[in-house]
Amino acid sequence: MFRLSDILAPTTTVHAHCDLPCGVYDPEQARIEAESCYKIIEKMGANSDPTFTTRAIAIKEERAELAKHHLDVLWHDYFKPEHLEKVPNLHEMFWNATKQVSKVKASTDLADARKLLDMIDEIDAAWTATGGPEKTRVAKQTA
Amino acid sequence: MTEPKPRREAGLPSARRGVSLRERLRGPWRVVVSERSMTPGIQPGDWLLVDPTVARWPRRGSIVVFREPDSELLAIKRVAAGPGDRVALDAGHLVLGDDEAWLLSDAPLGELAAAGGGAPVDSRRYGPVPVDCLVGRAWFRYGPLRRVGTLAGGR
Repeated sequence: MFRLSDILAPTTTVHAHCDLPCGVYDPEQARIEAESCYKIIEKMGANSDPTFTTRAIAIKEERAELAKHHLDVLWHDYFKPEHLEKVPNLHEMFWNATKQVSKVKASTDLADARKLLDMIDEIDAAWTATGGPEKTRVAKQTA
Repeated sequence: MTEPKPRREAGLPSARRGVSLRERLRGPWRVVVSERSMTPGIQPGDWLLVDPTVARWPRRGSIVVFREPDSELLAIKRVAAGPGDRVALDAGHLVLGDDEAWLLSDAPLGELAAAGGGAPVDSRRYGPVPVDCLVGRAWFRYGPLRRVGTLAGGR
């Protein structure tokens, strides 16, 4: 037997959502995933075993996607309009870097992975120049 | 025979493309609200009636249910500005296209921050919302019983 409230209850949830960012940002997260991709490509060059290659490709896709995610978060949430003064080519930098991630996904060329690392280093410089380390990281405790 | 008067087609805001009335009739007609960006008027847990037949952005002050750009989350906000309106930004202004609305949270920024929230997730974050994202207009609260009534348009 249905209760009245079961019949009347809403069918769908809508989100009046706010955001809860932790405020921690560091291009290092993207770099580590990009380094993974670099190492995987390096190892693929030295090992032609088909099972190894299959696993390597799968893992590279995964890590590259994570690199892209970390870059997206930096772009959307860390960088603000006022940073454009210090980093006028900000948007282009991120556009190129995320496109490079897509390239690395498909590539077995170490040069592509190297290029991605260089692009992330550029972004790291922008993050540092805009006060990223001081503003967004929790300092290590000194003894 | 005289020419018929031209219809005001150029001035009409665009409608949701590719969503037939039959599809719109499927709803949602009843929704429950989660999270707090629309307080104090709309509280988490409120049961709302929605009109999903709307084809165009309702007028300013209306509460709308829509698919958030990028996230595809079903969200609820208020129409702060509609097609053709001008929105003031920190650095200048924006004029909305004929199928765009500027949707804002109701909760004051201070309250959101105090509750641990960050920057508001509304048009200030994702910009104008195209009418294709529109799902319906929330017009009535039917739960909880002590707060039953039509939703106020405009603050």
